[in-house]
Amino acid sequence: MIPLEHYLYISAALFSLGVFGVLTRRNAVNVLMSIELIFNSANINLVAFSRFVEGALGGQVFALLVIVIAACEAAVALAIVMSLYRVMKNVNLDEAAELKG
Amino acid sequence: MESMASAAIFYGVAALVLGSALYVVVGKNLVHSAFALVAAFFGVAVFYVYLGADFLAGAQVLIYVGGILTLLLFGVMLTNRIYNLNLRSGAIQVVPGALSAGLVFALLVWIIQSVEWGAMDSGDPGPTSEAIGRLLMGDYLLPFEIASVLLLIALMGAAMLVRRRGKSGS
Amino acid sequence: MSDALQSLPRFLPELILMGALAVVIVADLLTQRRPLKNSTDLLNGITLVGLLGALVTSWQALGAGEAQSLFASMLADDGLLGVFRPIFCLTSIVVLLLSMRSKELEGVRLGEMLALLLTVTAALMWMAGSVNLVMIYLSLETVSVASYLMVGYLSSDRLSNEASLKYILFGAVSTGAMLFGLSLLYGMTGTLDLYGVRAALAEGTFGPGLLFVLILVAAGIGFKIAAAPFHFWCPDVYTGAPTPVTAFLSVGPKAAGFAILIRFFYLGLAEPAGGGAIAPVGGADWQMLLMILAVITMTLGNVAALLQTNVKRLLAYSSIAHAGTMLMAACVLSVEGVQAIAAYLAIYLFMNLGAFAVVILAHRVTGSFEIGSYAGFWKRSPLLTVAMGIFLFSLMGIPPFAGFLAKWYVFAAVINAGLGWLAVIGVLNAAVAAFYYVKILRVMVIDEDAGPAPALAFSRLDLALLVLLVVPNILGLLFWGSLDRVTEYSQTLLELG
Repeated sequence: MIPLEHYLYISAALFSLGVFGVLTRRNAVNVLMSIELIFNSANINLVAFSRFVEGALGGQVFALLVIVIAACEAAVALAIVMSLYRVMKNVNLDEAAELKG
Repeated sequence: MESMASAAIFYGVAALVLGSALYVVVGKNLVHSAFALVAAFFGVAVFYVYLGADFLAGAQVLIYVGGILTLLLFGVMLTNRIYNLNLRSGAIQVVPGALSAGLVFALLVWIIQSVEWGAMDSGDPGPTSEAIGRLLMGDYLLPFEIASVLLLIALMGAAMLVRRRGKSGS
Repeated sequence: MSDALQSLPRFLPELILMGALAVVIVADLLTQRRPLKNSTDLLNGITLVGLLGALVTSWQALGAGEAQSLFASMLADDGLLGVFRPIFCLTSIVVLLLSMRSKELEGVRLGEMLALLLTVTAALMWMAGSVNLVMIYLSLETVSVASYLMVGYLSSDRLSNEASLKYILFGAVSTGAMLFGLSLLYGMTGTLDLYGVRAALAEGTFGPGLLFVLILVAAGIGFKIAAAPFHFWCPDVYTGAPTPVTAFLSVGPKAAGFAILIRFFYLGLAEPAGGGAIAPVGGADWQMLLMILAVITMTLGNVAALLQTNVKRLLAYSSIAHAGTMLMAACVLSVEGVQAIAAYLAIYLFMNLGAFAVVILAHRVTGSFEIGSYAGFWKRSPLLTVAMGIFLFSLMGIPPFAGFLAKWYVFAAVINAGLGWLAVIGVLNAAVAAFYYVKILRVMVIDEDAGPAPALAFSRLDLALLVLLVVPNILGLLFWGSLDRVTEYSQTLLELG
């Protein structure tokens, strides 16, 4: 039997990799992929806690809704990327810099 | 013996997930990264099976691999085909990024070890689809409905953003 | 199932909005196929009726009946939700009127925009009512996704697209971090219900682990209210988005973000300590966390606003500063702080949307968002200049105007809680803020316009809009009664569970 902590370590590693990707990637689609890693790490937590701590299915329902939300966000984000592509023909974040923070 | 094999498979899958996740965030080729993401998503589905979340494992494969990834690949390929853009993306600021991510990981490990999780294995819950279905139509009715509103406006909005161009020209 | 049916009467404003959403979508599809002469007016009218219906029903629901939990403890219909519902409806109504007068949105099909506006209004109400981690996350994401689409609405405009891309990437990261934090909180407490979270946290000490969770959650909430250091998206998005959308973002999601902040921290992470006060549970000092955020947010917002020459960017930083002021009230740890936030938001709605209304009307004639383009406005349109003056003085918090009341509530709550040093920082910040607000006025009144300066003409709708926004700012004192009504009901926050 795999103990709870091992799931948590894996999800922590996945979360950190996602953070690394978000910090270092400059391509919008690549950043999106890193964000999907973060969502997945949270979902592993939710399902593991659902079994090991709550002992009910609340966490699984939460995880299911998170998957739906992730799909929505991915669809909207890619639509925006496509739309921006057509306007400026490049999605590297550095070059999307007409607006400078 | 059987549990040994199952543990071995688990840690093998874990290595696969983390390895492909690493490739996703450091790989140079966008399409390769997308395929590494497929492997990571499949691995997470395997974790769900180990946790007894059969319905969720199915949803993970269907929605993530079947939906989100197809979408990502479409995005990558279409934008590439239209503008023949070089898909390689250079990563910058690797060292500070790695340091911060490492710090986050160390912090999380410390938290995982220091918190008393009150863990008790509630055992394999058996098939979960019926129970989840009842929850979605019962206690979680409102979130279920809100999720459908969210899907509606996300699809409507995404279609609007991509389609509008044809008319207004720009 | 019976629980859901019993909840429906208390859910009327949201149901009206969803009904209007369905009608708008169908009407949009029908008029797309067979365009009418005034199909835009038709769609605007349906949306306005829906929003007005929601406003009336939510005003009637305010304080009517006991606090009650809805849909199997997903939402709490209590004083806090009651107070925030009319604020959201009013914001959306004003934004709808603004979008009719905006030059940027002229000649653009508005069907989807109206559908998004209705959805986001309902989603803001869901945010303000959530007492379950699932609902907190889901409603926050619904507001976010709708906002991304509204910001990127001008899909052939480069700035609008860039702003939207920045917004969605930043937003997805912040809410992803928040989700991870919520998942850990679920693991620590074994429940998704906020009251259950409080009960579980009261039994043990979680210390640094809990604090880390709170920082992750604060990232998600801070993103919604544009608090530093989660504000980086804000100036760019405010500049790039169509101005009515900017106006909406500066009030609606910010208000809902505060509602969720109060729910999460005051309900989930604290227990009533008698006399309207609350005491944090679980051994994490989140009051300090909020105080740090408040100070950074106020100071950064005000100092950065001093340097701006674009009026939309300036208002972006000013809205960050106002978020900081409201965060001060959130550090009070008593019902008084909640009342101060509710009162502040109710007044902020009129002064900030008023300033954006002037910006939109000015853009119609000058076609520019640079402060320099306002030179000579005193001669060209005294009316617009006076209106802007009232909004800006109100934002500054100068006595006869309503903004003073807002500041009064916040500072009284902060000082009563014994946080004198925080109040001093707040007053210093208010003094800095006066500089950049006066800068706009100086350009309008003193600077001479170089070219010929014809008088500006405005339609009746413009005048009505300005009057609608000016009156609450001038007659702030007369609204003391309704403000008391507003704040009175936010007390019932701690009643449930």
